[in-house]
Amino acid sequence: MQRDTLVSFEGVVKRFGTYLAVQKMDFEIRKGEFLAIMGSSGCGKTTTLRMLAGLEAPSEGVIRLSGKPINHLPTWSRDTPMVWQSLALFPFLNVRENVEFALKMRGIGKSERRKRAEHWLDRMQITEFADRNIAQLSGGQRQRVALARSLVVEPEILLLDEPLSALDAALKVRMQSVLKNLQRETGITFVYVTHSQSEAFSMADRVVIMSRGKIEQIGTPQEIYRTPRTRFVADFLGSSNIFSGKVTASGAGSVDLETASGPLRLTTNAAPPPGSAATLTVLDTKMRLSLTRPANSTNVVPVRVIGEEFVGATATLYLETAQGQEIRVQKGHDELAELPLEIGQDLFTYWAAEDGHLVAEA
Amino acid sequence: MRRHVSLYGLTFSLPLLIWQLLFFVFPLAFLVALSFWTVKNFAMRPDFDTINWVTMFSRKVFWQAYGTTFALAAAAATLTSVLAFPCSYAIAFKLSDTARRWLVFLMVIPFFTSYLVRVYSWQIFLSDAGIINVMLGQIGLGPYSMLNSIGATMIGYLTLSFPLVVLLQLFSLVFIDRTLIEAAHNMRCGRLRTVFAVVIPSGRVGLVIAALFCFILSFGDFVSPIYLGGGDPTTLSILITDTTKSGQQWPRAAVIALTMIATLMVVAFAAVKFAYKGRTK
Amino acid sequence: MSDTGAQDINRSKPVDWALKAYIFAAYAFVFAPIAASFVFSFNSDRFPSIPLGHFSLEWYQAVASDPLVWEGLRNTLFVGVIAGVVSTLLGFGAAYTDYRYKFFGKQIYLALALLPPTIPVIILGLAMLAYLSRINLSGNALSVIISHVVVCAPFAMAIIRLRLSQMDPALEPAAWNLAEWKTMRHVIVPFTKPAIFGALFITMAVSFDEFAVAWFVSGLNETLPVKVLGFLQGQVSPRINAIGTFVFVTSMTLVILAQVLLSGRDATARPDADE
Repeated sequence: MQRDTLVSFEGVVKRFGTYLAVQKMDFEIRKGEFLAIMGSSGCGKTTTLRMLAGLEAPSEGVIRLSGKPINHLPTWSRDTPMVWQSLALFPFLNVRENVEFALKMRGIGKSERRKRAEHWLDRMQITEFADRNIAQLSGGQRQRVALARSLVVEPEILLLDEPLSALDAALKVRMQSVLKNLQRETGITFVYVTHSQSEAFSMADRVVIMSRGKIEQIGTPQEIYRTPRTRFVADFLGSSNIFSGKVTASGAGSVDLETASGPLRLTTNAAPPPGSAATLTVLDTKMRLSLTRPANSTNVVPVRVIGEEFVGATATLYLETAQGQEIRVQKGHDELAELPLEIGQDLFTYWAAEDGHLVAEA
Repeated sequence: MRRHVSLYGLTFSLPLLIWQLLFFVFPLAFLVALSFWTVKNFAMRPDFDTINWVTMFSRKVFWQAYGTTFALAAAAATLTSVLAFPCSYAIAFKLSDTARRWLVFLMVIPFFTSYLVRVYSWQIFLSDAGIINVMLGQIGLGPYSMLNSIGATMIGYLTLSFPLVVLLQLFSLVFIDRTLIEAAHNMRCGRLRTVFAVVIPSGRVGLVIAALFCFILSFGDFVSPIYLGGGDPTTLSILITDTTKSGQQWPRAAVIALTMIATLMVVAFAAVKFAYKGRTK
Repeated sequence: MSDTGAQDINRSKPVDWALKAYIFAAYAFVFAPIAASFVFSFNSDRFPSIPLGHFSLEWYQAVASDPLVWEGLRNTLFVGVIAGVVSTLLGFGAAYTDYRYKFFGKQIYLALALLPPTIPVIILGLAMLAYLSRINLSGNALSVIISHVVVCAPFAMAIIRLRLSQMDPALEPAAWNLAEWKTMRHVIVPFTKPAIFGALFITMAVSFDEFAVAWFVSGLNETLPVKVLGFLQGQVSPRINAIGTFVFVTSMTLVILAQVLLSGRDATARPDADE
């Protein structure tokens, strides 16, 4: 175990009856990092968080906090404050009482409680609402109360379960920067569960991608974006084009594949045995376009334009191969302006061997 | 939603209005008038005389009965609420949905059994040669005199309102957001403390309303104080039956009844206010 | 439930078992008098206690051969059926009014419609007796019916109102083009039918058990519960158990019928608009 490890999941499994919610899970959370756990609903991300908070007990394996196993500690004996999706603010207490709650439970005296609550109310900019009822607050204000309530005990770690999902888009973006700054300033480890790629990638230092109770990939947003480890991740992120085929030759730093779209080559250190199945991904920003067949490119696929979509500074071009596979290409408007973009236009798309990337099949 | 008055609308709304005016509001209003009538030679005469109010309010017996009734009803509301709460709590939080449905169904059954029969049945349990004393006798205890006591009256009040209190409490507890309980645990609030810090405040409206109903039922009940409590101490309800059934002192009974209604209104208002304290709609 | 998650760490087995035992004790307390009444109605002893005497139907025979009991039963049924029908009709009207209309003073209307059960029956009894005797209506079955409708109509209203609130909001406007009376006949009534019958049986059951108001106003036309009150005042008699058991079985039959009708709601939820 590394010295800066705060939490470790070691062979953790969670079953609900016969349903396997989390499969053998091994990963670590580092001190002071912003970790996002991402996946679609039912992938086990919330269960993972709840096991850490002590709201579910693992069926197998060990969860350690600062090196000590915490499997059998009840929730109230751990210091793993959590922010709920519903926020779970107490409607029968006012804002200040909500924030003071955790301090009161720790037997901290009244004046000290008030002082510390005051500090966090101020920091979250909700001092003026201190004596209001929860029902009188807006969504963003409630969010801040929930954060203040959890952070008032100045924990080592804060667990967040999709806390922004109830907010509108603009407020969501604002709260993201609030969260990110808060994490940076306090140095508290944040574990943030979300189904939103933009939330995870914009805030987190590292992202855990889960699917069907399994970890698919852990890494920085850049790593995951550039080199998705599995086909699932590439699919899930939706920013790469995927080509499946058979290895025809490998070694000497490159691999040749035979795919439905023709022979393709990529640069890699891996050496899968010839004849084995392999999947190649290429980021949609790395794909280039040409009206004529490019002469000296190894990876060329003839395509036809089937649609286009303009979002902000870039445009997405939807193409289709002769075999019916859909391919997406992202380009700047200037670059696209040079090409005729009618639907049905025949084109060639091509990319450098270095931009291809081999992913695990599973 | 329609606003205009139509024959169609009135056909549905008027009958109940007329019925309740004629047979609910008028009788109660008549009770007010009656309380100012006078009785001469065992015959009532329409009048406007405060004599009944003055007579009743200056009687020590009346105020003793008032104090007793209020204290008994308050004690019944407290006792029933306290005894019912662990039961409602356990049904709400510790059982499966199926078990909960069955228990709710079972708790409804007592509403359709005769209260009189149940009170009589308690006599079988509590009398000197009754079931409990026979059982105690077998382990060499007793016999104890249990009937005709305040304790027996309380058992009667419990019989009257325990099922209703459990159902009302349960109704408020099952709707408590479970994440609030998790959140409390998550903030170092242990099991028992969570009950007092989160569960009870969350269900406060229902718990107070349940206690209020118990108070209202016990305050007006005459069966338990007579047939289990032995008629001693005298409650207001006993006083009413005595005053009406013996002689023509209805105006005085009306005074008692109106005092009871006023008391219940004050208590109900205070309870509702307390229940919703600090809440904004 | 081999793996119950949070329960494992955040629950305490002994506490859970203690709470379950408490539920059992509470239900035992509630059902002890009901069960005892049932058991002792078949017991031969004059003074019911344990050990039990032998099985006997003598109390049922005693009850059955008492012409006063039969008369009480007749009165009870007569009063109950009429009070049930009238309260259900009135309750339906009030529930529909609350569902459909907004008007000045609606709060007062609803208070009038729902308050009667919160007034202690003894006060209601006294007020009824005083008032009805003033207008020469007391001391007969009619006076009991009138009083019971006052007490029962709010229950009918609550049951039917609950059903109306489950009505698909799109349903009635869809039928708005029909004349109002036709809408009532083809949409509202069919939709609320189970609740109407549910309310009918529940109000009948409430009337069958009501003794206090009836005791005040019934005069010589005593209903069965008033008879029971009389037995209770007189010498202790296991006949009460026999009558109690009989009334219980009758009430429960009505309640279960009501329950079956109310829970069969989905089957009858669709209005037969093109009848």
